[in-house]
Amino acid sequence: MPQLSSIDELKELQRMLLDDIHESKPCIVVCAGTACQASGSSDIIRVAKRHIIERRLLDKISLRVTGCHGFCEMGPFILTEPQKAFYVQVTLDDVPRIIEALLSGDYVEDLLYGDPHTGKKYHNRDDIPFFKNQQRAILGLNQKIDPIRIYGYIAQAGYSALEAVLSKESPEWVVKELKRSGLRGRGGAGFPTGLKWELLAKQPNGDGKFLVCNADEGDPGAYMDRSVLEGNPHSIIEGMIIGAYGTGATEGIVYVRNEYPIAIKHLMVALRQAREHGLLGGDILGTGFSFDIKLVRGAGAFVCGEETALIRSIEGKMGEPRQRPPFPIEKGIDGKPTAINNVETWANIPLIFRLGADEFAKIGTKGNSGTKIFSLVGKIKNTGLVEVPMGITIKEIVYDIGGGPVGKAKIKAVQTGGPSGGCIPAERFDLPIDYDSLTEAGSMMGSGGMIVMDENTCMVDIAKYFMNFLKGESCGKCFTCRKGTQRMYEILDDISKGNGTLEQLDLLEELAHVVKDTTMCGLGQTAPNPVLSTLRYFGNEYERHVVDKRCDAFVCRDLVGAPCQAACPLGTEVWRYIALLEKGEYEEAYKVIRASNPFPSACARACDRKCEQRCNLGTSGGEAITIRALKRFVTDRVDPSVYTPMRVVREGKGVPRVAIVGTGPAGLSAAHYLSLLGYKVTLFEVEEEPGGMLISCIPAYRLPQDVVRKEVESLLDENITLRCGTALGRDMTIDDLFTDGFKAVFLAIGADKSWQLDLEGETLEGVYSSMEFLKAFNLRGRELAGGHVGIIGGGNSAVDAARVAIRQENVQSVTLIYRRTCQEMPAYAEEVEAALEEGIKLETLVSPVKIRYIEAALKEGIKVETWVSPVKIYAQNGRLVGIECIRNKLGDVDSSGRRRPVAVPGTEFSISLNTLIVAIGERPDSDCLASMGVDLDKGGKPRVDARTLCTTRQGVFAGGDLVTGPNTVVDAIAAGRKAATVIDRYLRGKELRELPKVTLPEVLIQPAEASDEEPGEAARAEPPTRPAESRKKNFAEVEMTLSAEEATREARRCLRCDLEFTRRENAEGNRVAVRKE
Amino acid sequence: MTQDIATRNKGDVHVKQEVDTEVILGILERHDKARGALIAVLEEIQAQYGCLPEEALRTVANEMGRPLVDVYGVATFYRSFSLQPRGKHLISVCLGTACHVRGAPRIAEEFERQLGIKAGETTPDEEFTLETVNCLGACALGPVVVIDGHYFSKIRSSKVGQLIDDALKGLDKIEIGEDKRIFPIDVSCPRCNHSLMDESLTIDDHPSIRVSVSFDHKHGWLRLSSLYGSSSIRAEQDIPIGMVVDFFCPHCHAELIGSWECPMCGAPMVPMIVRGGGMVQICSRRGCNSHMLDLI
Repeated sequence: MPQLSSIDELKELQRMLLDDIHESKPCIVVCAGTACQASGSSDIIRVAKRHIIERRLLDKISLRVTGCHGFCEMGPFILTEPQKAFYVQVTLDDVPRIIEALLSGDYVEDLLYGDPHTGKKYHNRDDIPFFKNQQRAILGLNQKIDPIRIYGYIAQAGYSALEAVLSKESPEWVVKELKRSGLRGRGGAGFPTGLKWELLAKQPNGDGKFLVCNADEGDPGAYMDRSVLEGNPHSIIEGMIIGAYGTGATEGIVYVRNEYPIAIKHLMVALRQAREHGLLGGDILGTGFSFDIKLVRGAGAFVCGEETALIRSIEGKMGEPRQRPPFPIEKGIDGKPTAINNVETWANIPLIFRLGADEFAKIGTKGNSGTKIFSLVGKIKNTGLVEVPMGITIKEIVYDIGGGPVGKAKIKAVQTGGPSGGCIPAERFDLPIDYDSLTEAGSMMGSGGMIVMDENTCMVDIAKYFMNFLKGESCGKCFTCRKGTQRMYEILDDISKGNGTLEQLDLLEELAHVVKDTTMCGLGQTAPNPVLSTLRYFGNEYERHVVDKRCDAFVCRDLVGAPCQAACPLGTEVWRYIALLEKGEYEEAYKVIRASNPFPSACARACDRKCEQRCNLGTSGGEAITIRALKRFVTDRVDPSVYTPMRVVREGKGVPRVAIVGTGPAGLSAAHYLSLLGYKVTLFEVEEEPGGMLISCIPAYRLPQDVVRKEVESLLDENITLRCGTALGRDMTIDDLFTDGFKAVFLAIGADKSWQLDLEGETLEGVYSSMEFLKAFNLRGRELAGGHVGIIGGGNSAVDAARVAIRQENVQSVTLIYRRTCQEMPAYAEEVEAALEEGIKLETLVSPVKIRYIEAALKEGIKVETWVSPVKIYAQNGRLVGIECIRNKLGDVDSSGRRRPVAVPGTEFSISLNTLIVAIGERPDSDCLASMGVDLDKGGKPRVDARTLCTTRQGVFAGGDLVTGPNTVVDAIAAGRKAATVIDRYLRGKELRELPKVTLPEVLIQPAEASDEEPGEAARAEPPTRPAESRKKNFAEVEMTLSAEEATREARRCLRCDLEFTRRENAEGNRVAVRKE
Repeated sequence: MTQDIATRNKGDVHVKQEVDTEVILGILERHDKARGALIAVLEEIQAQYGCLPEEALRTVANEMGRPLVDVYGVATFYRSFSLQPRGKHLISVCLGTACHVRGAPRIAEEFERQLGIKAGETTPDEEFTLETVNCLGACALGPVVVIDGHYFSKIRSSKVGQLIDDALKGLDKIEIGEDKRIFPIDVSCPRCNHSLMDESLTIDDHPSIRVSVSFDHKHGWLRLSSLYGSSSIRAEQDIPIGMVVDFFCPHCHAELIGSWECPMCGAPMVPMIVRGGGMVQICSRRGCNSHMLDLI
């Protein structure tokens, strides 16, 4: 390789290389950064080479191996040039297809990156939202450069900034120009880099001065420095040479952490090449200016990111920080003046001198110029490295680039700044990303980690995680840091185990401030940030842990136990009945289910399965156990009479009587448990039959009515009197009930009054609320729908209504109209899918703007004759013929974490309809309660103490949908059971409030012998369903039961989270030991 | 037939070797005993022995003129040093923040449970050492586990058992006959362009590459496997591990030497022309598996 002995020779080389580029062939680009290598990109590269050699394609195509492009989650990927097609997660077999397609100018459609929502394929990588919304001033070069070839860098105008500086500018100009650029240190603190250089330049140049590149990227969750080092090491070298020229530094050191082997390798290669080319060493490019760079490997100590500790580490000592002043700029490595900058800062230097300070300063905002790279990771759809101009909002990064949450769980915070930073809650996502705003919000820029957290992330656990990290990484020099981080950890540990107290929360905060104020280095001073910021924004989570002993994210294990059990509002020992099922002990399994749930068969069909959402098998990336189907299997097989509940027998006449209004799952459960406690209960029901929603609204194809009837009947015993056709407010008042001798009243009248669209014409014939429509059919057998049916809404009742409608005799088509996308539908996904299978059309991103009745329709020129019988309509003030809709687009993210639908003017269109069903939500029909001494809130729900279910009237309790709004069966049962407990305590004159307690698995059920098959790898057993064709126009149950074999296999997949608790004392299973025997 | 894939990092470490003072002195020699070199010296010793044996630390302290407590302090301050010998296989579970929020603690626990040891410990049979690390920088792929230099991404606890089994079998082992990544190349001398292929002697069931070598005043032939990805060789003379060898074309007798140095060990790379286009370069140091295949 030629040693370049003058600036002109470098220019000549550049010109030559640029000419080469212009005649370039199509190229396939493969990333070989750490993340892509971890996904197998090295193999992709090998196979690509093999194909090119074996097919003799070398004249037609080239291959470039590069560093990180940023979209690490999609690796290994192949980018083609000049097409810019972006093939993601490619396998070895895909490589030849991609090469051949590129040669013929085609695309391999199935491998292109597709939008996860719409499946839309992008043919040009730059159109992909993840890339489109970034400004990749630094990272953008990575894809163009093979990091181990200096010519690749030079061909991309590399070293041209150095060349310009050396050929015509003075060192003073360099420092001045940098100051004008406004660049601030990218390591986190944001100290102006130009000022630092100026200070170094002013130091006397006796024994030499040092420039250091701090590549000890220790923040967990941050890896942008590594990507720059791996992908473009020459940019660091060029930056440091310019720095040395400007400041008069004589030696350079890159301090890289040992955990980055590829970065070390690439940097070593780059340094050697730069030296060979005369860009480093003595008399650089014949200018007489000398500078060389040495690589020093860190040995794994987080504190070495602190500058004084880093200096000591370079000196070969323990990396303990020391007191400043003297600052390193005066006395650094071996007592010589030293300036330390972060990797990303150095990478910006060539850019600044290539663009000019003024152009650079235009990027970003005033005082925060340039771009910043973040590693966007955690609970977010698009993970990877993103580079954005400073000053854009967190929201833009998280939603526009990151694509929002992964699943249905809402994003609640981002953590920035690593262990020294803090958590910023979703409410503050409008915050611009710059040094000062983040510090004000209690976090900091840090080196650029941005970890997204959703509802499944526990903030107490996060604080505990960081404190555990920091107590391990504290060098121990300052007592307050050493002991303070440890004590904070212990307190957080107590809280996460349910042993925390409110006093400890105060102590924690006080301790945090003490550590902040009394420690010497950056590590200690910022160590309390994770605690302080979570306390500040997520104090309620701490309180839930301390007061209620609940971890709502299901993370803190000692509060959660087995997640399936903890998630169930009834506390059903799911793990237990699944273990019993697996052993074939079906009756025992039934008893476990029935012990906590009086409606096992109904729940086996209509439960929303909170247990499955929390199943550890599902949350760890696999498929959750199909718990509901297993419950169905057990309840279908076992005669309910095997379970006999325990009863309290009360003698004599003094037994208090309790009135329960409403016979849905809440009312019936309350009656059942009160009866078991020996009370006499009277149930009042407005309809002719008990069962509430179970009977009146849930369609029979999901939950057959005879199943409900049987279950309800089994609960009605001699202690319970049923009075149907009686309505509160119409036939009686609460006063009447007390006068009649009832000692307590439980209100469980549900929420069955539909919300209206607030459009003109909603009282027309042909327009129904979903409740009205479902009840008419379920209770009275009346088919209200006919012809073309439209349903507005996206919840379960909308889908129920749609599916009931399509089964009705006179219905021709059913259209479900929802204002957001399928992703945002609150209905259960499997119900939506089933509906689509049955031929229900789905219009999403659409809202109805106007219901047109006949006159309006005629005026607008719509022909309706073929659809309606005009005589009848006129007689009833018109009959519906259609609706006009307008299309929506997705707008901003609202407080629910979902994107707001925004109407697009000019996109109105009409749908002809004969029946319109409005299913946009329900509320309680509770107006009468206000006059009976029960205070209501704005939504018509009684004001209730959540812990005791007490209303504002003594002796009157309320629960179920009436209190929560439309909710699930299992929550209603739980409310009923709780009401029974509270009313019992009330009648016995006891304190109503129960102390919260943690329920952990207690009964040890030995697991079956381990089989060869890995338990978690088997596929989830979905229960069979009746084929769509055979279920139209009838109400036969769609979902069927699993076979014994399927059920047993499915039960075997259970991870048995209970064993950790039930076997705690026993010696733990040791697979390796077993294998060795 | 199984073979090592050469491109990957080898996580294997040597266990329980006797400390050879000469080796330590050699390492110290290379670092000119400068004060700042201590960490680099210890890193090299650890690479050699898999840990920092007491005897080695004493030698280092003596030779560098530093009190033993100083050397011990550095050896115990940094995470990457270990005073205890490690197992044959090193399992590192990343506990960085991104991996943590995606469930890494459970993965670490599952490894602990299945191996019957705690993080930081070695199994009694010295097969496995389990450690947790702060961040490996593969955050987009979390939870991440690295076993013997191989990365495994998006790990679930149900995969743990399989990983342990695979590690025991050897992660570097692959089936040459079936693996797409292993393929034969035809090479020729970059000087005289004469083919270096030798049909008469096969390695890995393929014609071998024939070159002449000299080292340490010895001369002889050397046959290399022509399978890209295989590091099988046969040599006339026994070449000691670590020896840098000069390569010659058996036809024109020119030295096979280019401008590249091995990115791993710094020894000269040996270039050969690939039929079909491109150039392959292999490291001239025995035991260093570094190689490059350039399509230029």
